Amino acid sequence: MSFLRAFQYRKKDSPIHRLDPRSKFLLSIVLMVFSIVFIDIRVLLAVLVLQIFLLWSAKALKEWVYSLRGLVFFFIIIFFTQLLFGGTFLIGIVLSIRLIVLSSSMSWFFLSSTPEDIGRAMSSARLPIELTFSFVMAIRFIPVIHDEFQSIYDAQRSRGLELEKGGFRTRIRNLMPILIPLLVGTIRRTYEVADAMEVRAFGASPKRTSYKSLKFGRGDYFLCLISVMLVLVIICLKVFFGLE
Amino acid sequence: MVEIIVENLFFKYPDAEKYALKNINFSIRGGESIAILGENGAGKTTLAKNLNGLLKPTKGSVKIDGVDTRSLSVAKIARKIGFVCHNPDHQFFAETVEEEIKFGLKNFGFQENEIEKSLSEVLKTFGLEEYRHRSPFQLSGGEKKRLAIASIIVWRPELLILDEPTIGMDYAQRLNIQNVLKNLVSEGKSIIVITHDVDFAANICNRAIVLSGGEVVGDGCLRKLLSDPEVVNRASLRKPFIIELEEETGFSGIDEDFDSISEYLIKVFHKCHS
Repeated sequence: MSFLRAFQYRKKDSPIHRLDPRSKFLLSIVLMVFSIVFIDIRVLLAVLVLQIFLLWSAKALKEWVYSLRGLVFFFIIIFFTQLLFGGTFLIGIVLSIRLIVLSSSMSWFFLSSTPEDIGRAMSSARLPIELTFSFVMAIRFIPVIHDEFQSIYDAQRSRGLELEKGGFRTRIRNLMPILIPLLVGTIRRTYEVADAMEVRAFGASPKRTSYKSLKFGRGDYFLCLISVMLVLVIICLKVFFGLE
Repeated sequence: MVEIIVENLFFKYPDAEKYALKNINFSIRGGESIAILGENGAGKTTLAKNLNGLLKPTKGSVKIDGVDTRSLSVAKIARKIGFVCHNPDHQFFAETVEEEIKFGLKNFGFQENEIEKSLSEVLKTFGLEEYRHRSPFQLSGGEKKRLAIASIIVWRPELLILDEPTIGMDYAQRLNIQNVLKNLVSEGKSIIVITHDVDFAANICNRAIVLSGGEVVGDGCLRKLLSDPEVVNRASLRKPFIIELEEETGFSGIDEDFDSISEYLIKVFHKCHS
C-alpha cells in the first residue's frame, strides 16, 4: 500500500502546487515518454535528476522516498526474471531505474494537484462530467478505502486472525475475512454516495459551472515551453544520436 | 484474571506531529469495570488499541501479565483481551451468524464440542437463536452490534473492551447488554467500556478513566469523578442522571440500581424511614 502514497495529494504551499494541472500533466506525459522510449542509462538518470528536482520543489521528496519502498517488490521481480532469462545484473539495475522514472513522472503531478483541480482540467478538455466525476472520486476515495482496510484488519486480528501463519493456500483463505467486509463496505458506500449526490441535484442541469476556474500563468507557459523543448530533445537523441 | 500495567505511555500515529496519548499511567486488575470517558478525539480508542496490542507504544510500555505488548502478537493478546470495535460492519464476512461467531473459536483452536456448546450459550444470551442461519449482513443495526459483541464474548476473554457499545441500540437492547456485562464482572472478568453514554457507564462501571486531549484528567471512582464539574466540563460530558438526581433531592448513597424515578423515590422514602 505504501506505493500508493506517491500518488496521494498532499496539501502544501509550493511553486509546483500553484501551477495549473494542465501544464503539469503535459510535462508528466513528456517525462513518461522518456522512460518508455529510452533504455540508455545516461538519459534515464538525467530525467530522474529532473524529476527529483521537481519533487523537491513540490516539497514532496519525503513521500516519494517512502513510496520507493513499495516498489521493492517489483525490483525483486525484475531481477529475478533477468536472472532466469539470462540477463545481467546491469540490465536489472537499468530496468529498475526505468521503473522509478516511469512511476515518478506521474507521482509529482498527483502529489501536487488536488483531485478537484484534476477534475477541472478534465472538464476543460470537454470530457463528459460523468467520467470526470468518477475519476476524481476514485482518487478521492483511495485514502478512505486504505483506512477502512486498516480498521477491518485490526478488527479481524482482534479475533485471532493471523495472516502470517500457514502455507500459501491458508494465507489466501485468511484474506477472505478482510476482503469480504472491504468489498461489501465499498459497494454499500457507492450506493450511499450516489444517493447523497442525487439529493444534492447531481446532473439536474446539463451545463455545469464551477466555482473556481483554472488559469494559465507565466509559470505554466514556462512549463509548456520546457515540455516542447524536451520533445525536441527526444527527437534529436533518437534521430541524430541514435540512442536506444 | 489478567493484569495490565500501563507505564509512561506516549503514543504518536506515524504521520502525526502531535502525540495522541501523553504520559499515561494506570493499572487494571481482575474483576474491574472501567469506563473510558472523554470528548471526541480525546484518544479513547487509541488507548484501547494500545491495550490489546493493535498499536504499540511510541514511548513507555504496556505490560499484560508482566509481558510487554511489543513482544506479543495481537492474536495472542486477543485470547485474553477481547476487543469489540465500534463498527460491526468491519468484521462480518461469514455466510451465517453461526459461522461468524465460530470464527474466533476456530482461530484459537477450540475443540468441536466446545465450539458447539459456547455457540449455543452465546446465541441464547444475546437473543440471536432465530438468526442463527441468516446472513450477518441482513441484520438490523442493533442486532449487528449484539452479534459483534457475541462473536468476541464467545471465547470468554479475561478482559473485554467495548468501543461505543450502545450506539444505535434501543432501550431494551441496552438493558440486555448492561446485564450481560454485569454478569461478566460478577464472574470475575474485567470490562472496559469506551462511551459517551454516562448513564450507561454509571450503571455498570465502578471506575472511570477520563481522557482529555490525550491526557488522563481523572482516574478513580466513577461517581466521584463525574460529580466534579471541572472534570465533566473538560471531557465534554454531563453528569449521570443518578448523580444529578442525588444532588437535586439531597439524598445520596442510593447505590443500588433503579429503573425509574418512582423506584428511586421509593428507595429514598425507605431510607428516610429506616
